[in-house]
Amino acid sequence: MLNTVEKIIFILLAITAAGFTFHGFKTIIDSIRKGRPAPELKDVPGSLVKAAIAVLFQQTIFKARKVLSAIHMGLFFGLITYAIVNLVDVLEGLIPGFDLVYGGVHLPNAPTGLINAFNLIADVMSGALLIAITVFLVRRFIVKDKALTFRDNVLLNPKVKAGGQARDSLTVGVFVIMHVGARLMSQAFRLDAGADPFMPIASFLNSIFGASETGVHVAWWISLGWVMFIIPYLSRSKHTHFFMSPVNLGLAKQNPRGQLDPAIPLKVIEGQKFDPGAKVVYDLAWTRVMDAYACVQCNRCQDVCPANFQGRPLSPSALEVNKRYLLKEATFGSHPEKLLLPLTETVISPEAVWSCTTCYACVRVCPVGNEPMADIVDIRRRMLIDGYEIDSGVQNALQSLATNGNWMSKGKRLRGKWAKEMEFPVKNATEEPVEHLWFVGDTASFDERVIPNTKMVARLFNQGGLDFGIMYQNESNSGNDVRRVGEEGLFEQLVEQNMEAFGKAQFKQIVTTDPHSFNTLKNEYPQFGGKFEVKHYTVTLLKLIEEGKLTVKNKLSNYKVTFHDPCYLGRYNGGFTAPRKLLELLGVEFVEMPRNCENSFCCGAGGGQIWMGKVAPGERPAENRIKEALTAFGEGAKDKAQLFIVTCPKDMIMYSDAVKTTGNEGKIEVRDIIQLVAEAVMVVA
Amino acid sequence: MSNDILVITEHMDGKFSDVSFEMVGKAKELANALGGQAVAVVVGGGVSSNVFASDSTIHIDDAALSNFNPEAYGKVIEALVKEKSPKVVMFGWTVTGMDVAAWLSARMGAPCVAYAKDVRTEGGALMVSSQAYGGKLMAEVAPEGDMAIVACLAGSFPVEAGQGSTAATTIASPVDLGSLKVKFTEAIKPAGGDVDITAQAKLVSIGRGIGGKENVELAEELAKALGATVSASRPVVDAGWLPRTRQVGKSGLKVKPKLYFMLGISGAPEHLEGMKSAELIIAINTDKKAPIFNVAHYGATADLFEVAEAMLELL
Amino acid sequence: MNIVVAIKHIPSIADDLPVKGVNVDFDSVDFVLNEFDEQSIEQAVLVKEAVGGTVTVVGVDLIGELDAVLHLALAKGADKAVKITGDDPAADSHQQAKWLSEAIKGMSADIVFAGVQASNDLDGQIGAMIAAYLDMPYIGGVSSVEVSGNTATVNKEFAGGVGAKYEAALPMVVGVQAASKPPRYAPISKVRQIAQSATIEKVAPTGEASAGITFKKMAPPVAAGHAEMIEGSSKEVAAKIVELLKSKGLA
Repeated sequence: MLNTVEKIIFILLAITAAGFTFHGFKTIIDSIRKGRPAPELKDVPGSLVKAAIAVLFQQTIFKARKVLSAIHMGLFFGLITYAIVNLVDVLEGLIPGFDLVYGGVHLPNAPTGLINAFNLIADVMSGALLIAITVFLVRRFIVKDKALTFRDNVLLNPKVKAGGQARDSLTVGVFVIMHVGARLMSQAFRLDAGADPFMPIASFLNSIFGASETGVHVAWWISLGWVMFIIPYLSRSKHTHFFMSPVNLGLAKQNPRGQLDPAIPLKVIEGQKFDPGAKVVYDLAWTRVMDAYACVQCNRCQDVCPANFQGRPLSPSALEVNKRYLLKEATFGSHPEKLLLPLTETVISPEAVWSCTTCYACVRVCPVGNEPMADIVDIRRRMLIDGYEIDSGVQNALQSLATNGNWMSKGKRLRGKWAKEMEFPVKNATEEPVEHLWFVGDTASFDERVIPNTKMVARLFNQGGLDFGIMYQNESNSGNDVRRVGEEGLFEQLVEQNMEAFGKAQFKQIVTTDPHSFNTLKNEYPQFGGKFEVKHYTVTLLKLIEEGKLTVKNKLSNYKVTFHDPCYLGRYNGGFTAPRKLLELLGVEFVEMPRNCENSFCCGAGGGQIWMGKVAPGERPAENRIKEALTAFGEGAKDKAQLFIVTCPKDMIMYSDAVKTTGNEGKIEVRDIIQLVAEAVMVVA
Repeated sequence: MSNDILVITEHMDGKFSDVSFEMVGKAKELANALGGQAVAVVVGGGVSSNVFASDSTIHIDDAALSNFNPEAYGKVIEALVKEKSPKVVMFGWTVTGMDVAAWLSARMGAPCVAYAKDVRTEGGALMVSSQAYGGKLMAEVAPEGDMAIVACLAGSFPVEAGQGSTAATTIASPVDLGSLKVKFTEAIKPAGGDVDITAQAKLVSIGRGIGGKENVELAEELAKALGATVSASRPVVDAGWLPRTRQVGKSGLKVKPKLYFMLGISGAPEHLEGMKSAELIIAINTDKKAPIFNVAHYGATADLFEVAEAMLELL
Repeated sequence: MNIVVAIKHIPSIADDLPVKGVNVDFDSVDFVLNEFDEQSIEQAVLVKEAVGGTVTVVGVDLIGELDAVLHLALAKGADKAVKITGDDPAADSHQQAKWLSEAIKGMSADIVFAGVQASNDLDGQIGAMIAAYLDMPYIGGVSSVEVSGNTATVNKEFAGGVGAKYEAALPMVVGVQAASKPPRYAPISKVRQIAQSATIEKVAPTGEASAGITFKKMAPPVAAGHAEMIEGSSKEVAAKIVELLKSKGLA
């Protein structure tokens, strides 16, 4: 179709585009390689294949925003189709007589059926693409979906603030419309013998514009000429995610969700000494440098962030977007010096760093396997080392943890005080062998508001004939939250103290009250040689009932309850079923909140937030959650007490407060699941 | 050597602090038992010193003593003590008394007992009850030797017993105060604005249970009717319902009012730390298991709004 | 500028304190750094940062566990750590102050910091006594210190924001109530690193002093017990409270 001059121009253009594209991706790969070593990935080809399948079926995006995800799916399939369509179009241009309209009538021995099928798919997908891209453009530019914007208090790269993302979207959006539109026109102009039933849209256009040899040329050039510009552009825009997100997904975190990367890479590199945590962007593991390139900038993570919900200046997506713009300015632009600027000035504000509850919702929801939360923990780690002034409440907690082994400024010896008040002896696991070593945790051991529940757990264990003991003053805080606050040294110290205590004890498994302890004991202690079977008390209780060692004598049908999945039991460790099964066995009326299991909404206490002296303004996540529960209960039967069931000592405190501050006392009551179990099995006090 | 009791009184802005009277009252009791005299010692000017029920009052005035100066006060008191060689020297275990008591003890090689809650004689010997270790332990100790320094916690003895009108004898400084190393340069006044809740005799203290900023007004009204000031627990202040100056507790102020009336405070340990030594604690809370009821003298499980409104009608 | 901080390792009052005989059962308590010493270490480091010099932290090692405290002080910015091998958990403030004074004598200190008080100051605080033994002036209850040349300017707190500013010719002893900035946090990784590399100078105790008191008895104060609960409707409760307050002259 093309004449010789056109062909030469096209080939020159293609070579130039390939050059720019190569440069683009080389720059990206070089940049990613500058990141620190990441935890070792196993079976990379296998993971990549799995990721490719996930991408092909668009599985990961459907975790949120179902309708938009479906439209994205249309866009995705459209663009995949177009990769082939463009190839065919190039052949049409370069090979004289290569023309596929009307089933390829002009071609000798053409596989008509196949060509017709191709034409139909190409034609229909063009329509789908145009519709999908229009929806997205309308969403961003006309409806102005708030989900695509950031709060005013969120630190943003100046270019993002100036609308860089919108310009980027518009550029690519307009390209898609021009490209697909021109491609449709170029086919329409070819239809010199009227409509082709396998090209309905092109035929419709043909009925308006007719056929035209010049038209074919012009439209072809618009369609494919654009591509030569847009492909190199993609590597420099957020649309790099076309290529990078499947790779990123394939190379995503393989360790358990509840296991943080070490503060200093485990992999030793000759001549390289690492400071703990991250100050500048290349202090991040390379997999997390790559996150910035994979980020679609869809803000799904921001939607689920409890800190962002409260109006705090944290947006996990802003973190990735800022990272991306920083890297772009430094590697594609002329500002390599910006790489040396602290992340707390370029990527995330210090206040935002300290707003994170480490609930993992952002990582969980991310369709491309990004881990903004891990970056935040790394930034905290370095801030602590560098002597950044931390919140006084957090400092007090850490200081107490360093001296007393608990964050509540209580003496070590008081840890087992509640147990000494029991009507039966509670074994000291460091002195005599037990089957179950109960790791009670700070809140459950010391907080007067929670101790009655702790005693109830002990009574139920006792009544169920469980052979258990606690470690009394030998137990230290597990360190889960300490690690997430970024105090790696203190975390290690606490692990050592606990490992020493475990060393004195003989036991078969550990049972914990606090999901936070549960998480780190299960997922992180193995890194320090502590490989134990760890259970949450909900699992232990369920087993006691299922084995008939505790009998439900009293069905609690007078209660209407909902259940809050604690982040560190649910989302982190998949402990969704035991509490629900327990509630079912107790005979309560169970109502599920809209945000449950993987989608559970954080109470706002994790990641050290419970220690903060300064309380942020705005509706607290726990308050929002209480409202959610009340909405889920609806009007309902007034004869039933409405209960908000928790399985985490911190939740007991957070939600009891939230019920008060939202003025819902009398409407809903917070109870630990243990209180219901005790009532149902009629524990002997 | 005498059996006299010297009481080092404290004054600021022309007024003696309560602990001064408390100690004079106690000194009289001790002097009686020991057969000595209770001598009130007033250091510094700008105050009328004829206000004690002491057997005698010595008023030492000097330009260098017009403001508290630990060095000057120490030297003067040391000289006086050497001259009088009393049986007991009583200080307040206060911000000023603390600067001199232990110093004098080390200078003179005389025993010192701080945190004194009680001083008495047992079989002619001195016995002091000291509330050390943050109030966790009460120690009964006997000072050895001819003279003891006792630093008393404020609020340990009745004020009235020390009040009187003994005429003071004013004397010049027994030591030269010409070459002091420490100089008072200026007084520092509070940043201003809000009331000092640590200085209030009555506090109506509100917690999370108050529900919202709009309800603070009810507490204000009740406080007004009781002649009290409103203070709060941390969450209330954090929520911005009251200024930081009103916060009681670990991260706030420590208060010791005569009345601490609590509305909707469950009694987190951090809060208890700031108010547990209040003289009368009354707590209203909806949760009958609230830890505050282990600390309060009187409690009621009731709706704080209803109680407050009903009280307003009665006051 | 030679800045010295005298610290105290004291029984933790975070625990219930067990009693043996007529004193604390020192074998069954944890020892911690006096909380006011954290303030005085911070104030010393702040002064060093402002005018230069070295900060030497010195304390009596009562139970052989002072190293951890000294490592923490070094991690917070102190330059030298000295421990006096006192080895007597019951050593009173007088004795400790004497030992400390003797150790400080050789340090040509320009300014000595101590925590304004400690919970076991039954026989008085070491700061004031060190001042007496070293014949230096003492100001306690201090909330900020600035040094210029041979003069220190300190703010002393009285109550409720009222205070006074003093100037003192150095050397002097300062009893710190609160540092002018909240004490910094020393990351444990740094403390652990220092624990491996730092050397702590050991000094034998010299000098003798005694509190001159004999313990006769020691026991927890009688527990306050539970609140007397006022029963009845809100109106009845209100009436009873008003009556109670009136009877006590509080309403």
